[in-house]
Amino acid sequence: MTDVLAWATFGVCLALTGIRIPSALRGENRMMFVLFALISLDILLSLEVPYEFLDGLMGGFNVCNLLLRFLLYGTFLLMGIKVARAFGSRGGERAVRGPWGIAVLAITAVLTAVLFFSMDTSGSTVGLEDLDPEPALDLYSAFGRAYPGYVSACLVPGIWRSVRSSGPALLRAASGMLLAGLALLIVSQVFPLIPDSNAWLRPLINYSAALASALGLGGIWLSKTIARRTVRAIPSDQR
Amino acid sequence: MSLPSKAFQHWLHGIAPNTSTADVCRSSGVKRTTLAQQLVRGKVAESSLVSISRAFDVNPFDALAHFEAYAALRGTPVPPTDAELVSQVSTMDMLRAVVDRSEHPDGLRTLDLAGTPHPSSVRNWVDAIDDGDLRHRVSDAVGIAPQNFSAYLTSNRLPPELALATSREAGVGPAGGLVASGLVTEAEAGWPSGARLDALNRLSDGELALLAGERLQAFGKSLRRQEHELDRTQRIWDNLA
Repeated sequence: MTDVLAWATFGVCLALTGIRIPSALRGENRMMFVLFALISLDILLSLEVPYEFLDGLMGGFNVCNLLLRFLLYGTFLLMGIKVARAFGSRGGERAVRGPWGIAVLAITAVLTAVLFFSMDTSGSTVGLEDLDPEPALDLYSAFGRAYPGYVSACLVPGIWRSVRSSGPALLRAASGMLLAGLALLIVSQVFPLIPDSNAWLRPLINYSAALASALGLGGIWLSKTIARRTVRAIPSDQR
Repeated sequence: MSLPSKAFQHWLHGIAPNTSTADVCRSSGVKRTTLAQQLVRGKVAESSLVSISRAFDVNPFDALAHFEAYAALRGTPVPPTDAELVSQVSTMDMLRAVVDRSEHPDGLRTLDLAGTPHPSSVRNWVDAIDDGDLRHRVSDAVGIAPQNFSAYLTSNRLPPELALATSREAGVGPAGGLVASGLVTEAEAGWPSGARLDALNRLSDGELALLAGERLQAFGKSLRRQEHELDRTQRIWDNLA
């Protein structure tokens, strides 16, 4: 079940990346292409088969997971800046790329790396699931969730204002979808409180968050495309 | 509020005894599926009744009065107040009137008013009959939240039920809200032709200028709101699409 959701999420992200290729070639908003490509890569590295293959190439001690963490931090830094700017949230933008935001990112990144190298991580295992449980591993996972959660928390108020305003319906729906995805990332901070008997909830929340955010960003693109077509259609109707 | 199916069908039989529903829909422009659905649900929309009445040369205002919920429309028609009449003059016509008067101070006025309703007719009508507390009284009487009532004014819509309740609470004739919301025209509501223009001409120059100024102010505010909204949308698209 989780596998299906994971692959579906990957498929959606890959499709959204593909859709952006023509506009990226034209030089329009290349950062969004990069962002979608990054999200797709993040999801690819969370899938068991590609993860174990790539990690095997890199020495089989899960350095691929560390790479994934850094890619995720980069993804969220980029998305945070773009989304905060898009929704006109000055406070949000400052919180992500201002001195505070950069400090949070730097501390998270350094501690993630230190914790990773302090552990015995031999034996490729996606999500480090089969490593021996130890406090350092819990902390490492917590840092991996913390930065995305931090960025999400910075973005939520700005997006909420837009969802409540009176823009085009599809744009508001897509913004709502993005908002739901980010809200799930904030919820994911409580993963340690989820009992192991309900462990399936964690990947469900993670992939739902990724899928909702990707669909939200894709929907925003779609709403613009539709609005443009409608505007173009009016003069030809009146002719 | 809507009209019960049974009473509606009885009324329809009265005005078009030998006409099939399909023909009724064809001549009135009401979508067949829409009317069928409304009949099944037992709630026929007033707008359907109005379209059908017009198609069969029946005055929609009188047709509405057939139904129990619109009993208020029966009896001697109550003429609209001057304030109501002026509220149904569009902002652009009002500004034209200002210019017209300054160019023809001797009173040769040749203004041709646009038909009802105009883009802010609902809010202007409610403002014209509001004694300061009307919105709350209507909200209480109908059982809706005051902000929902305001939302109707902003979107320039007013369900017939609310229109009737508003005129009842304000103590004016029952037709004004139906005209302002565009359900019926001023002629259908029995307003004499030229009544709006006469009411407009009865305003003193000062009254007219002040009223036009208020309207222009409100118009500017709503334009600014739209522009602001457009800017926001555009910024999202520029950054994320």
